[in-house]
Amino acid sequence: MQVTVHIPTILRPLTENQKRLTITGFSVLEVIEHMEERYPGIKEKLITGGKAHHFINIYVNDDDIRFTDGLSTSLSDGDSLTILPAVAGGAEPALLHT
Amino acid sequence: MNRPLASCAITGPLKSAAPDYAAIVSSLLYQSGALGMKIDATENCSNNAALSFEFKTPHTTPITCNVTRWGDSSKQASVTENIMQAACGLMSVHGRASGKSQPLGLNYVSTLTAALALQGGVSASIGQLRGLSVSNSNVSMASAALLSMGQYIAGATTSESHESSGPRHVPHPACLPFISLDGVLFELETLDAGPWQKFWSEIGVSSAVAGKGWTAFLLRYAKAISPLPDELFSAISNITYHRISQICARTGMAICPVRSINDRAQDEDSRHVWLQGPWEFLFETRLKDGRSSPSTDNLPLSGLTVIESCRRIQGPLAGHLLALLGAEVIRIEPPGGDPLRSMPPIAGDCSARFDALNRFKTIREVDIKSLAGQAEVKELVQRADVFLHNWAPGKAVLLNLDHEDLAATNPSLIYAYAGGWATDSTAHSPSSQMPGTDFMAQAYSGIAKKIAETSGTHGGSLFTILDVLGGVVAAQGITIALLNRCMNNMSAKVTSSLMSAATLLCADDFQSLYELPGSGSASKSIIDTIYATKQGKIAVECRDLKTAVRLAEALGAAIVIEEDNFQDCLSDWFLSRTADEWAGILEHAGVPSAVVIEDLADLQTMAHLQPTLTPGAYTKVNSPWSFK
Repeated sequence: MQVTVHIPTILRPLTENQKRLTITGFSVLEVIEHMEERYPGIKEKLITGGKAHHFINIYVNDDDIRFTDGLSTSLSDGDSLTILPAVAGGAEPALLHT
Repeated sequence: MNRPLASCAITGPLKSAAPDYAAIVSSLLYQSGALGMKIDATENCSNNAALSFEFKTPHTTPITCNVTRWGDSSKQASVTENIMQAACGLMSVHGRASGKSQPLGLNYVSTLTAALALQGGVSASIGQLRGLSVSNSNVSMASAALLSMGQYIAGATTSESHESSGPRHVPHPACLPFISLDGVLFELETLDAGPWQKFWSEIGVSSAVAGKGWTAFLLRYAKAISPLPDELFSAISNITYHRISQICARTGMAICPVRSINDRAQDEDSRHVWLQGPWEFLFETRLKDGRSSPSTDNLPLSGLTVIESCRRIQGPLAGHLLALLGAEVIRIEPPGGDPLRSMPPIAGDCSARFDALNRFKTIREVDIKSLAGQAEVKELVQRADVFLHNWAPGKAVLLNLDHEDLAATNPSLIYAYAGGWATDSTAHSPSSQMPGTDFMAQAYSGIAKKIAETSGTHGGSLFTILDVLGGVVAAQGITIALLNRCMNNMSAKVTSSLMSAATLLCADDFQSLYELPGSGSASKSIIDTIYATKQGKIAVECRDLKTAVRLAEALGAAIVIEEDNFQDCLSDWFLSRTADEWAGILEHAGVPSAVVIEDLADLQTMAHLQPTLTPGAYTKVNSPWSFK
């Protein structure tokens, strides 16, 4: 499956400044593994302990993968995979662990 | 209770200020009183163009603090709180969630203006003590209002992704807060998808729908809209508040009912917070000298160094304000940089919203969780004047970067905490399980309910009002502590919070409740309405009958204000011209009015706001202060 990956500014130094990448893979994890082969270092920016970082949102089309099958979420040809940082206001939440 | 400015005073015609400035004066007097200042209020002289007062310390010549309506001094049009909210886009952002521009129902711009005006006087005094020749500090209501819009204006004016989500674009039937089966209004909060997912699963909502809701839920901080799927509202409305609370406890979701200011006033700490003012000062170390290092530039805090370890809005805005006053702000970010740098829309190579709050700072990437990182922070702090953080309660102790730790490193340090709740102690939080975010603080403090009563909605604003005011209060507290250090050779810890900012915003309400029961609120205007016109909308406010008569004359309308249907008649009359045309006519007639800004990108085209804005990759809001 060939999908378009939208890269946030913060990760573009790792992708030779490319905003969009065309990557193949049957799942989100596979796409990330394939990106890692081409752009070493990107995987650790997205994944920790087998899960996406809590401050990173990954969407397949409009769906947050945490509410589908996480990194195992399957992909179809032409899907769009968007990586976005989370956002909030206020002080740091009491529930956030150090 | 520590009163850091007990040796200082404000003097000026504050007894009967022009109506435009009355709410500013009220907040100014409250803040000055809380700081222990002597207040010498005289009768108003005839000058209604500006509000002027003097800020005095025993060690400086008086600073004249001028407050004007607009940044452009040639524009003298009379204003009110609501007219300013209309003219500077606050009504638009607040109205996005409900689908129509409307006022907040709070003296928000006035409170911000008062805080900035007082901070101008304090900062200029620090400048004098550090060798700067300065005797005047100027702010305008418009610059205060636009400061609160900085992030939203940034989001609306980048070329990459033009955000024109004015109220007209997003009418959504189901709005926050949620309502339970037994009629309790409440906010939910989590900054992690896990609790959200578990919570809605227990409520019986599918993961796919919960996921769509999560995306919308996160959006509300940046865009002031939250188009949650209707399924969430309908599912939760079948369950009692008690059961929802139990599900929250099981799933890690935070919940807070929408309380009234009366409820808040009954809280154990409430009266103390109101009497103390929005800052808590702890003075401990007497220094040999107050480190009044000389000013290195023409701004009052130039040559001073601030170390900031903050995320999101409140803390970074406080650091931004100190940078605008001339301080060198070194911002600590996690290795790899703050993830919010890439929050769209992007201007150049950085999130426009992020840049709006952080563009004047130097960045140091430090892993504060590691011992090496903590040592690096301490090394930075050794040479700094201020350390500012907004970590979760209890985290500073865990990181070995609490007040005691850093005071040992640098005894003259001003240690500042800009939190969500009134304290950084987990034991004394109103609820240590509630994240200290804007919308939770609005619900808990009574602000949300007050807004709802005015806006005809159920809850607070998705415009992050407390984050912004909290940021201003934090910067103000730091500046006050710096002045106290210069004058009295004392270092300090200063704590402020979203909750204390909420108390400041409703100080008059608390006064009514605690000291003058039954005094009621200020008198209502005869006309305070947004009218549709041939093109655009216009906000009009007539505080008294005389102004209403002038309005009728200006409209050329044979309207008898005393008759019941005069509002309907006015609505028809306004349809005959454009909002721009009416604004010119009403300004000439001396009727407070303004074209309602619906698309924030329009702000940069308004001539009278030009001095306050700088165009570029996105439109930047300039410093609210100018010093002479």
